[in-house]
Amino acid sequence: MIVSKQWENWMGGIAAQNKLAARGNRLGDEGRTVKANNVVINGPFAEIKEMLGGYSIIRAESIEEATEMAKGCPVLELGGTVEVRDIIAMS
Amino acid sequence: MKEFALIFRNNTTNEAKISPDDMTALTKQWQDWMGGIAAQGKLANEGARLGFDGRAVKPAKIVTNGPYAEISEVIRGLIVVNAESIDEATEIAKGCPILTVGGHVEVRDIIQINMSKN
Repeated sequence: MIVSKQWENWMGGIAAQNKLAARGNRLGDEGRTVKANNVVINGPFAEIKEMLGGYSIIRAESIEEATEMAKGCPVLELGGTVEVRDIIAMS
Repeated sequence: MKEFALIFRNNTTNEAKISPDDMTALTKQWQDWMGGIAAQGKLANEGARLGFDGRAVKPAKIVTNGPYAEISEVIRGLIVVNAESIDEATEIAKGCPILTVGGHVEVRDIIQINMSKN
């Protein structure tokens, strides 16, 4: 699947600043939810109306800088939102 | 082999209740579980463990503080695994330690992206 030009430009701009740490993945709509006691439910949308469409990992000095970069994300033009989260380093 | 994302979700209050000793034991469980997936050559990407600092960016560039604006459940992290099918990925997810502390795992297929060359 070819990503749309808008996505390509936005991610390319982040990459050009050497701030794209991991391109991440675009998620499909096939899904399962695994709960305690081996309970499995079909679909990712068990209890939430919004679904996660994908993610990328970027480098920034602060969450404010990361948030500024998120403002260019094309998902915003389709009514979506971007969640910006700090990452806990794993040793 | 295809790639699937395992997305870890939990309610923030469940984690606040965990004692430091229990957290140490839980960390070991996570290491064992992820190590077992890696040992089978099925850990495609270690992913990320997410913290609690967050912002939500909405249309018209409105920014709100916190990832939990409208949901009590938050994404705590994710990994990407290799599996033949979503059912195999779901079997892998059944070993995830987050299930022991009130959380759950969302298993999702991944759409391959081809970035066109400029």
